[in-house]
Amino acid sequence: MDLAAALDCAPTGERPRFDLAAGALVGGRCADCGGTAWPARAVCHRCGGADVRLGAFSRTGTLVSCTRVMVSRPGLEAPYVLGQVRVDDGPVVFGQILGLDDTEMVPCPVTVRVDAARYWFTPDPGPDRPQDDAGLHAPTDERQN
Amino acid sequence: MAEDVVVAGVGMHPFGRYPDRSLKDLARVAGLRALLDAGIGPRRVRMVYSSNAMAGMLQGQEMVRGQTVLREIGIEGVPVVNVENACAGGSTAFAQAVMAIRSGAADVVLALGFEKMFVADRSRTLDALESAADLDVVAGLGIQFTAVYGLRLRLRLADGSITRRDLAEVSVKSHANGARNPYAQHQVTVTAEQVLESRCIADPLTLLMCSSICDGAAAVVLARSGVLSQPGRPTVRVLASASGSGFTLDPAGGPSGATLCAERAYEQAGVGPGDVNVAEVHDAMAPAELLYSEALGFCPPGDGARFFRSGATALDGRLPINPSGGLASRGHPVGATGLAQLAELTWQLRGEAGERQVRRPRIALAQNSGGWLEGESAAVNVHLLERMEPWI
Repeated sequence: MDLAAALDCAPTGERPRFDLAAGALVGGRCADCGGTAWPARAVCHRCGGADVRLGAFSRTGTLVSCTRVMVSRPGLEAPYVLGQVRVDDGPVVFGQILGLDDTEMVPCPVTVRVDAARYWFTPDPGPDRPQDDAGLHAPTDERQN
Repeated sequence: MAEDVVVAGVGMHPFGRYPDRSLKDLARVAGLRALLDAGIGPRRVRMVYSSNAMAGMLQGQEMVRGQTVLREIGIEGVPVVNVENACAGGSTAFAQAVMAIRSGAADVVLALGFEKMFVADRSRTLDALESAADLDVVAGLGIQFTAVYGLRLRLRLADGSITRRDLAEVSVKSHANGARNPYAQHQVTVTAEQVLESRCIADPLTLLMCSSICDGAAAVVLARSGVLSQPGRPTVRVLASASGSGFTLDPAGGPSGATLCAERAYEQAGVGPGDVNVAEVHDAMAPAELLYSEALGFCPPGDGARFFRSGATALDGRLPINPSGGLASRGHPVGATGLAQLAELTWQLRGEAGERQVRRPRIALAQNSGGWLEGESAAVNVHLLERMEPWI
């Protein structure tokens, strides 16, 4: 597709970032080279093409690394856990990890979680892990936009 | 061959906490010291690249920051370009100055960096630091730079190639160097136990591994070779100047921005990493030195900790890294850091580094990175400097 097509790309504020029904992140996938990015961009970072299609990524991924942050920020009480996630068939995304009791288990599989305003990841229950989300506290989202 | 560019003068305002000094005061001291070191007055400067990252948010001086501090030292009328590239702003100003001279646009150019991060409300400084990312994408996640480095290091702790003890020992080394540097913010030695027992900031990083909020300024006068005579002093020339910006991580992995930038610098200079005799690397958290040793080709991938444990990067080692104390100990006033690295390397190449002088270096490397684009630094510069005259 011609690069000029990117001139008519939806404004960034109108591009969906979440698919609440599917519980997945929505981003861009290049129809030419398959490059993915979240959130979607007008032009593909890999091939420079403009045929970027919006779509939901997989709900599963791998938590590649994480860190427990001990310094609070507005709307975020320390400690909180940040992680680097390789979304299956999608991009690398950084976000909060909820419900990870033992950071030494990383790398590990995670599930993408979304609501209307934000996303986060939870570790998949393994054989040694509790199945429910009991005890999790939802973070405040004062600074989300 | 591009026009030869030499480092004619360097100067710093000591890094630290200076509540009673303004941006103009910090910049004045660094700028004047660089002019005096070059043996010139303010009227000889033909162009300025000025680096500051945070004065817009912290002091409210959003625009024309360079012009406002330069008038204090009698530099007016000449082109002033304000540079902002997060923590890599200082080296970006230097790179632009090199280009200006190589292009023939000016023969004497000042690169000046200044930053004042201590303000009454610390959360404003943290907000300003967090803005070195794409806020449209990551605002509200709580991504602090300590966390960014924490994530990188946890990867390596997980695969066993780096241990927590290494993280502590490299911090001990950077503090030991900083303790010998009169310009350093933290001129104090620490033990590995003190490092490990200090407060956790973002696992696995503890307080004594991290650079802190800092005020300071640094300046470099660059000149076309031959236009400023400095008899009796070793000549330091710019062997390579390479710049890059961040990119979207490939899920399959790939070389870092620092590696790609260093490769271009080596190619430009016609040297390899094995030719480097002393380096200043961007250790906003001291253990980053272990990662950058690999990224810059000083040792094979995965061998950063082993390289460090061998003593190679100590002041008396084969390739001393961060003799100044690095960002974690010398201090990291964002817009000034890159120029402080280049000032340090100039002193090292001239043999003027006092108690922290390394042994007879000929080629020096500075690597300065800034900002964060979900995994990669948003900006990176690698410079190679060379001492022209043999050591006697």
